[in-house]
Amino acid sequence: MTAEPRRPTRQLIQPDLPAFDSAALDPARRAALAELLLTLADDEFVIGFRDSEWTGIAPMLEEDVAFSSLAQDEIGHARLWYEMRSALTGEDPDGLAFGRQPDQYRHARLLDHPRNGWAFTMVRRWLYDTADAVRLAALAGSSFVPLAEVVAKVRREERYHLMHLDAWLARLAEHSGTPRGKVQAALKALAPDALSVFTPLDAEQALIEAGVLEAPMTELAARWLREVNARLAALDLRQLPHTDPPVDGRSREPVHESFAWLWEEFTSVARLEEGAQW
Amino acid sequence: MGDGADPQVWEVFRQEKDGDPMRHAGNLRAPDRDLALHYAREFYGRRQESARLWVVPRTEISDLSDPDLLKPPLDRSFKKPGGYVMRDKLDQAKRRARKEADR
Repeated sequence: MTAEPRRPTRQLIQPDLPAFDSAALDPARRAALAELLLTLADDEFVIGFRDSEWTGIAPMLEEDVAFSSLAQDEIGHARLWYEMRSALTGEDPDGLAFGRQPDQYRHARLLDHPRNGWAFTMVRRWLYDTADAVRLAALAGSSFVPLAEVVAKVRREERYHLMHLDAWLARLAEHSGTPRGKVQAALKALAPDALSVFTPLDAEQALIEAGVLEAPMTELAARWLREVNARLAALDLRQLPHTDPPVDGRSREPVHESFAWLWEEFTSVARLEEGAQW
Repeated sequence: MGDGADPQVWEVFRQEKDGDPMRHAGNLRAPDRDLALHYAREFYGRRQESARLWVVPRTEISDLSDPDLLKPPLDRSFKKPGGYVMRDKLDQAKRRARKEADR
């Protein structure tokens, strides 16, 4: 197999990833950003694959199109975060996405759960999207300008995701009987892992001092809990307990059975022939 | 719409760019107004092809397609602007104007 450089499969009118000089950043700051970007990328990548499982089997055709489109958006965001990390570290973005072992992924434990039923998927995605919104808001004023620029674009797309998930949460919660019961059950099952999106990062202090991240993850978690609990109370749904985020919320020890399965799925084509050019 | 109601049909109108008229785009099913707008966005707006979308429940649209009202059998050509033949009068007026200008 000849190792020709990979050619882009499409020409972007305007590249989504701003060009920047990674050599201008000192190594410690580069490493801190790389850690943050991997968590952002893996979260979006895993939720994107999880939710794309509904393609073809969502409750109605219109929702099938809408939810598949939402899942696809997240894969698009993951691509940006992987590419930004690669621009810092020199890694191959495809290698990052598809070439790691399951225990090397750094997504939040909330995303390890299988899709289960529709209500469960809606509740999990609502928890994730609202948490992601708080996290993105804390990165919006980043001193690392390329990050702030991409965050601004991603947040505009996430607005619609939040509207859609919020509409679904309300629909299910206000429908007394089975749907409401399933929402409550999903909230109960997911509560222990809900805060894992805010798992403190090793480089967190460095990111705050550099002006990349506005506040510590524990503080972001508290902000988020206030927001979601107010919304849950308005819908007369169970509250999430006020606790600190877990310290091991992104560790894969051991690898969750459901994520091991998902990994097999999303790497299956890439593993057919290592190094193949697509 | 109440909880759990069956989805109803919504007609979607879209404006391609600011200032354009709203044109009928198509229709979709949705159980409530919010989801109707979300689905309209997915079907007629996610590729940046629309500046504005409207959704209207099909049941709110009054239909008129009675041929007795819309296609009356008698000659109605005098109700169309084309019923007045202007071409010859216009040519004469232009000739007169040229003559005036040449003088």
